[in-house]
Amino acid sequence: MSTIRKILSLMILATLILTACGPSETQAPPAATEAPGSTEAPGATEAPAATESPSIPISGDKVTITLVTWAGADESNELQAVIDKVNAEATDFEIVHQPNPAEYYTKIQTMIAGNTAPDLMWLSQEYVANFADNGAIMDITDQVAALSDMPAAQLDDYYPGSIAVARYNDRLYGLPWIAQPVVLYYNPEMFEAAGIDPPDDTWTWDTFKDAAKQLTIKDASGNITQYGTAFNGWPPVQMFIWQAGGEVISPDLQSSPIDSPEAIEGAQFYADLIYNPDYAVPEEVIKEQGFGEMAKAGKVAMFFGGAADDLDYAYQKDPQNARMVMALVPKGPKDRTTFAWTAITAVSSQTENPDLAVKAMVALTDGIHHWKVLAPRKSLATVDVIATAVPGKEESAPVILQAAESMRSFNIIPRHAEWDTIFWEQFQDPLFHEKGTAADLAAAARAKLEELLP
Amino acid sequence: MVDTGSWVTDYSLTFTHWLLVGGGVILVIWLTNRLLRLFGMNAEAATGLALIMPWVLGFLIFSLYPFIASFYLSLTEYNLLRPLSLDKLPPLVGLKNYQYALTDDPNFWPSIKLTLFYGAISIPLGLAGSLLTAMLLARNVRGVGIWRTIYYMPAVLPAAATALLWRWMFNPSSGLINTILSPFLNLFGLEKPAWFTDPQLVLPSYVIMGMWGIFGTTTVILLAGLKNVPRELYDAATVDGAGLFGQFRHVTLPQVTPTLFYVLVTSMIAALQFFTQALFITTPREAGTFLQVYIWQQAFQSQKMGYASALSWILLVLTLLLTLLVFRSQALWVFYEGELQPEKKRSRLRGLLAGARASQQLSGGQSTPHGGV
Repeated sequence: MSTIRKILSLMILATLILTACGPSETQAPPAATEAPGSTEAPGATEAPAATESPSIPISGDKVTITLVTWAGADESNELQAVIDKVNAEATDFEIVHQPNPAEYYTKIQTMIAGNTAPDLMWLSQEYVANFADNGAIMDITDQVAALSDMPAAQLDDYYPGSIAVARYNDRLYGLPWIAQPVVLYYNPEMFEAAGIDPPDDTWTWDTFKDAAKQLTIKDASGNITQYGTAFNGWPPVQMFIWQAGGEVISPDLQSSPIDSPEAIEGAQFYADLIYNPDYAVPEEVIKEQGFGEMAKAGKVAMFFGGAADDLDYAYQKDPQNARMVMALVPKGPKDRTTFAWTAITAVSSQTENPDLAVKAMVALTDGIHHWKVLAPRKSLATVDVIATAVPGKEESAPVILQAAESMRSFNIIPRHAEWDTIFWEQFQDPLFHEKGTAADLAAAARAKLEELLP
Repeated sequence: MVDTGSWVTDYSLTFTHWLLVGGGVILVIWLTNRLLRLFGMNAEAATGLALIMPWVLGFLIFSLYPFIASFYLSLTEYNLLRPLSLDKLPPLVGLKNYQYALTDDPNFWPSIKLTLFYGAISIPLGLAGSLLTAMLLARNVRGVGIWRTIYYMPAVLPAAATALLWRWMFNPSSGLINTILSPFLNLFGLEKPAWFTDPQLVLPSYVIMGMWGIFGTTTVILLAGLKNVPRELYDAATVDGAGLFGQFRHVTLPQVTPTLFYVLVTSMIAALQFFTQALFITTPREAGTFLQVYIWQQAFQSQKMGYASALSWILLVLTLLLTLLVFRSQALWVFYEGELQPEKKRSRLRGLLAGARASQQLSGGQSTPHGGV
């Protein structure tokens, strides 16, 4: 009898211990680095219930390939539909999605450190070189070459600026699933009321600046009732530096010439506008009211957004939203280069099924290319593909395609996060807060930035 | 309609996994018990030790091992993206990480300064406010249970939710605080404070926000301390002519110093570990970075887990030193009943007790009913 009592006691105790050891619900802080322009960037939305993924073959001979993404609830549901289609057509693998929208990169790095990395993972462009350099993601050059009969594996079909971010040391480490060029959204009613012609191909920095000034309206007591434009570090200052003919990291990754006359011209143009109440929304107002929200609410006349943003069709979903129209970004002294926010799907070096993981990644990438705007492949750069993927984008599709011709991404180095911190702290932040001109700050910042180059 | 079939498929593996863990725990307890009995330990002691063995193992594996490992990692250039294994150990760099932090890192000392500054302001304010609140809650007023619950509620809220709430409250144009302040500010023609967007006001904003959390937990602990103050001491003080302030100064305060000491130590450690709210609320760069946030940035944004480990150990040493300082200071201000302390304390105790006895004699052994101070 006493033995039975002891066993029962032990079982109860074990149950209590198990209950106590169970995972406690913790609230993750927001992601420190968000993907600008992304419709659902890391940390932006709540996580749907994670799918429990067994690590064994789950149906017949199909091998489970795990995919971790930063997709939020809505994006995750849409992605699942893409995955379901890919899985239905696949005979040898089954992709299982594990969305992790909150604190995505912290979790991914922890999984890698713990040798529990997923087979596939999404990476924003600035992480690729670092992950590749540290051996966290797989060199898939040969595997992709062997799958060249699959549409997404034909590398020549990608826009050069987008496939470049998936390469490191001339080897391929993933496939881009989105390349989202920055475009200019404008409010046609505000333009009409101010008697200004809408933005077109002839617009330059000066045209844009003049329009921003005219479209910034104050009431009788001096309070601003309408802002010409809005910047808060987005779009990245690099875009204006490129448009002036400068670079922040040279293509050979050997220098950070932010003190070149071209780079200074681009940075100073940006600095003259940002938070300047004569042209743009002040910093504290942006922090209070939200950046894109102000444009959507009809408080900003011109807004630089990603091509996939819903600013141009949000009014169709809700008439409370302002109607905005898409145009190309204004042209700089050199050209009209626009920044493309690019993300890739990479294969973990820890995968136990490298060939199948690459195959699944290629199939999935093709599926995503028919879902996201803009698919980074020239063969899919058509109005029909865009309109099918996002019907609300049909009217803007010609502008998106035009923007894609002049889009590019960052030149990425392995220590990009550290480089970016210095670029922000030593150059951009003081510049935007009038602690010095671009010329004053650039030389000192350049020296520190170049210490981090490979 | 729930698909029980898929539920069973999805969760059977997890269920099996936890069953195995449960079996393992029972096995550990049983084996420990048998082993200890085998070595001649008596049944009661063996059972006790066996029952705590899962916890001991958990402590060793999940607390002590990472603790020691982090010290080792602080001597290396460990990158989070390069998984550790016995054949792939990170390169040893000796004390380089510590040296860099203390001598070359331009962000380290400002982080320390900000963190200490936050603690230096928030801890005294928190203790004073909590003591005052606890004294109010110790009174037998109507609905005191509800008041106590209300004051404790912030302590059970997640830090992230608190941060979001306060971010809205500090919103310069539409936040609750500026809305309340507006009439007064307008009266004197003053601008609305920008709180978290004004570098000069970031620290005061964090301190005000911190009070919310400190009050909840600390007040309850101090309330318990106040409830333990013998009523006789108040009676004696009243007989001696002490007013409310006199009772507070000569009875309440000395009697709750042990509780205050405990709260001071825990508040200090909490202040040095200030993290979640600082990570949730974006502030201007000039306002600085708290040390814990800086450690997190080094670990997960720059992947310098070795350096982050070194920073953590520096924080640990700093915490230990400050705690030691507070412990050494207790002889000067903490009053323990029954302990052998310097003459001043003993005479104070004798005086208090003599007063209490005299009071009891005067009142015929009946203490005056009151709800405490």
